Amino acid sequence: MTNRVIHTENLTKFYGKHRGLIDLNFEVRAGEVVGYLGPNGSGKSTTIRLLLDFIRPTKGRAEVFGMDVRAYSVDIRRRVGYLPGELVLYENLTGREMLVHLASLRGGVDWKYAEALAERLELDLSRSIKTLSKGNKQKVGLVQAFMHQPELLLLDEPTSGLDPLMQQEFYLMAREATAEGRTVFLSSHVLAEVERIADRVGIIREGKLVLEEEVATLKAKALRQLEMHFATSVPAEAFTGLPGVRDIRVENGIVHCTIEGSVDALVKAAAQFEVVNITSHEPDLEEIFLAYYTECDNHAE
Amino acid sequence: MLSNILLKNLRDQRKSFMWWSIGISALIILTILFYPSFADSPEFDDILDNMPEALAKLFVGAVSDLTSPEGYLNSQLFVLLVPLLFMFFAIARGSGAIAGEEEKGTLDLLLSYPLKRSRVLIEKFAAMVVTILAMAFVFWLSIAVGAVAIGMDISLWRVAEATLSGVFLGLAFGTLALALGCANSNRGLSIGVASALGVAAYFLNALAPVVDALEPLQKLSLFYYYIEADPLSNGLDLGHVGVLLGLTGILLSVALVTFNRRDLVT
Repeated sequence: MTNRVIHTENLTKFYGKHRGLIDLNFEVRAGEVVGYLGPNGSGKSTTIRLLLDFIRPTKGRAEVFGMDVRAYSVDIRRRVGYLPGELVLYENLTGREMLVHLASLRGGVDWKYAEALAERLELDLSRSIKTLSKGNKQKVGLVQAFMHQPELLLLDEPTSGLDPLMQQEFYLMAREATAEGRTVFLSSHVLAEVERIADRVGIIREGKLVLEEEVATLKAKALRQLEMHFATSVPAEAFTGLPGVRDIRVENGIVHCTIEGSVDALVKAAAQFEVVNITSHEPDLEEIFLAYYTECDNHAE
Repeated sequence: MLSNILLKNLRDQRKSFMWWSIGISALIILTILFYPSFADSPEFDDILDNMPEALAKLFVGAVSDLTSPEGYLNSQLFVLLVPLLFMFFAIARGSGAIAGEEEKGTLDLLLSYPLKRSRVLIEKFAAMVVTILAMAFVFWLSIAVGAVAIGMDISLWRVAEATLSGVFLGLAFGTLALALGCANSNRGLSIGVASALGVAAYFLNALAPVVDALEPLQKLSLFYYYIEADPLSNGLDLGHVGVLLGLTGILLSVALVTFNRRDLVT
């Protein structure tokens, strides 16, 4: 259990009558990148703010590093780097002054490392924060979250405002952190991003965790569109009834189908004919996500 | 200047403090330079005698002669200007301390650092105390410079005591604004409520001696504890100082408790 970095038990937060988060049971283990996915207002920030003791649970509890988030908040925050979802910095300071101030609130950090991070993100620390673009402010936010090399990074929408090149750099930084055994918990409403860097994903909707899965498993489970071209025309019967295969359409030696899970049986069935080409459309989380949400909506009706 | 929250907050106020200082010292020195011509005209005391009592209480307080150094400084500065100045200055600082930072949206980031909420609050409070004291010093120094320049016969020690009385009054209202901001995160509301209470307290204390219905309520006004003992003539009354500082302490405790308990607002 020592590698359990975040652990929640029935964690619930109501804002008046409005439900922020309902009965969250979730775990994050050391060295993982966990993506917390959901539309705006679904409860992502609420979860992170509960972990940091900014807001107090209506019910349930949470632990970080095995310590209760209410009782040991200061000890926890010493080992956490946080990037707020709506980052606001002190406009009257320069980037460097802002970081110096924040570093001193931690009792000092390795300043060379902080400057190296800024350089990596191509951030000019001598500029006044009020003259910085949203993306550049976000970089200041990222540097302050990473600069003390925390064991846990809680990042709320970390790539918002960053250009694609800088997003790549951020993904690298997150990967390097986990390579050193540190843990990244990030929220996002960008599916491609979570798919790209997360090991595991939690999907949250209207305050409820609706799915928690390894990204790899999720993809394996997903429906894929497959298209097989044959040298001659083939009978549809040769493919019907195979495990996981549905929606078969055959036209002039081209077979279209949808497949869930392994393609093994389908490929073996195809091998009895002369195969010219197979194209597979790799599913992305977006499709999984939308499929999931549509399913929820159907159930709801 | 960025090594902790206290110093950073003082640093943030450099510019505004400079302007306040220039304004205050100009106002005070001008006021004092007028004194010699005022003192030579005893007819000003007749104006006071002929003024309706309520009006006199409102603007010159309990002062009975306008031409003595104490009477002049009390009527021109310490009855109305000093307390309102310290009060509004402190309310601005107190309301900004937590609610201001929360409204701007910087409090989340600050509190993600390994600092107890109470520590943040105490440093913010300390910054408010230091700024008010610094302003009081500028205030006192301006009077001292003016008094020496015209050879006014006044005890600078007593001036310091009267100024400190203003500091204590300001602190009580500033801490009230701080506590209001800690309770509900709305800076505007905190300024509004604290200022309204302050102005009401001023009128209550000024009018109580002439309005029978208000008389029993006078001691509810913090201005009573600020000016009643006439610190410029008699020095500070420790009991009255105790009331102002005691209330400040209570309000600070309330601020700590409410701020520790509540949810931060995004």
